[in-house]
Amino acid sequence: MTATATADEGLTEPRITAEDIVRRNRRRDRTVIWFWRIMGYVTVLGVWQYASGRWMREELLPSPTKVLSTFREIWAEGDMPSAFQATLSRIAVGFALSFVVGLAVGILMQNRWLEGFFKDAVLIGITTPGLIWALITAIIFGNRMAGPLIAVVLTTFALITVNVHEGIKALPKDLIDMSKAFRVGVVKRNRQIVIPHLAPYIFTGVRFGFSIAWKIVVLTEVFASSTGIGFEMRVAQQLFQLDVFLTWILAFYVLALFLEKVVLEQIERHFFRWRRGLTAA
Amino acid sequence: MRVLRSPLTARLLFPVAVLVFWLVSIELIQHVWPFAVDVLPRPSEVRDFIWDELRLDTFAPYNVFETFWISLKRLGIGWLIAMGLGTMIGLAMGMSKGANAFFNDWVVAVLAMPNLAWALFVSMAFGFGNTGPIIVVVLTGIPFVIINVREGVRNTPRELFDMSRSFRVSQSKTMRHVLLPSLMPFMFAAARYSFALGWKGLVVAEVFGGDDGAGWTMKFWYDAQRAHGVVGYAFFFMVFAIVFERFVFDTIAKRVFRWRPSLTEVEVVEEMFEAEAPTLAPAAQAGR
Repeated sequence: MTATATADEGLTEPRITAEDIVRRNRRRDRTVIWFWRIMGYVTVLGVWQYASGRWMREELLPSPTKVLSTFREIWAEGDMPSAFQATLSRIAVGFALSFVVGLAVGILMQNRWLEGFFKDAVLIGITTPGLIWALITAIIFGNRMAGPLIAVVLTTFALITVNVHEGIKALPKDLIDMSKAFRVGVVKRNRQIVIPHLAPYIFTGVRFGFSIAWKIVVLTEVFASSTGIGFEMRVAQQLFQLDVFLTWILAFYVLALFLEKVVLEQIERHFFRWRRGLTAA
Repeated sequence: MRVLRSPLTARLLFPVAVLVFWLVSIELIQHVWPFAVDVLPRPSEVRDFIWDELRLDTFAPYNVFETFWISLKRLGIGWLIAMGLGTMIGLAMGMSKGANAFFNDWVVAVLAMPNLAWALFVSMAFGFGNTGPIIVVVLTGIPFVIINVREGVRNTPRELFDMSRSFRVSQSKTMRHVLLPSLMPFMFAAARYSFALGWKGLVVAEVFGGDDGAGWTMKFWYDAQRAHGVVGYAFFFMVFAIVFERFVFDTIAKRVFRWRPSLTEVEVVEEMFEAEAPTLAPAAQAGR
């Protein structure tokens, strides 16, 4: 082979760029990730299905297929929508109340004296198990509407307060001073500086608070209600119907996860479009 | 006048305000609207109850100290298991994309499941005794340990890894001297969170599936319709939580983080605590 011939062949070979290597690695990573993700589902569901008949009695550990068939039965009976509705309305009202209280206390805590005043309230709010509030309100208020609502407020307000408080502490003082120096009105200042700054903190509070609120509502319903998901779960437990129990909790759990992940995350993405726009630019 | 304006007075004023609110509500409900409540605990009844309990004089099968000790033992065992298992899984997830993909959805699922569900299920499947509550503690705490350890692995400074590779340090030595020390603050946050959450899960588990322990005793007083018992025990719970979370963990934090002179130790953990919150999936660390 002469030198020129090899040179010609070299030019016609496809060149592998760095981009290609990166792309290839990314594709390989994606396959590996999807493979293991699916394997995770297969393993867990498979072990569950297997364990149901063999390792533990069928009544003590219903298999996934049993849960699905029970779900179809209960749905056909028509009880599900009303129970869901009762619980969801309690969650909506309860969480709205907690948000208002949490926001108010968080804003009030700007003042040092009030911060000292509410400090223990927030501490107790964060460390006390929700069950405690559920039992106290259940014994005091019995079956009344007030019980679950108060329990939710007491359990969740602290989380929202802490986030709002942190947000207010971290307000960019230099921007606010600058806006005062340029005589920007209070309303405009709030809209352009304070609220966008506080928004992520409030949002974190809302996300965590919501995840707690729905759990506490279901918990109080177990003790002090005659409608709703928690009530249905208690009935199933007392009748020792594990499959019915699992069906109710899994159905509601899927709904709650949907609300948390899909709804709240979409809202978050919508709110924070402007931030990503900045980084892209 | 200066004393009145200090925040410390405000802090001391809060319990007083609560007491006043309580007494006022009792008066209002009794005279204005008696049907607003079923049972109305009075501060004097609660005070007597608490005093009796502290003197070991109680109607419940176990007194308050024994009760909390039983619960604490269960919490300790479950917490150790959660830390051990969680650290292993967290390390695996941090170091391998495949492991992360395998476990991730399930960690999220376990994290979002309410304590109540675990408690009821376990009470039906395992009946009374220690197994049920311990399993609930593990299930409640392990997602936090896993997530924190995984973040800790991901947050180890890359330069140290590169350096140890260029000096040809062995894998085990690298893990011991590079990975583990930078993992410490995350492990601490993991320990603290999983302990607090495990406690909450344990209490719910004991309510439904136990015949002793703090949660069960609370339910005992609830079933006996003794509102002062329920409120009194709630008070014990709050004291217990505050003692453990503030004092025990803070003192341990001070000793473990002695080597970091720049920040105070509590600040390091608080930083981790605060920093984790926005990035972590739902919590409850707080009220779950």
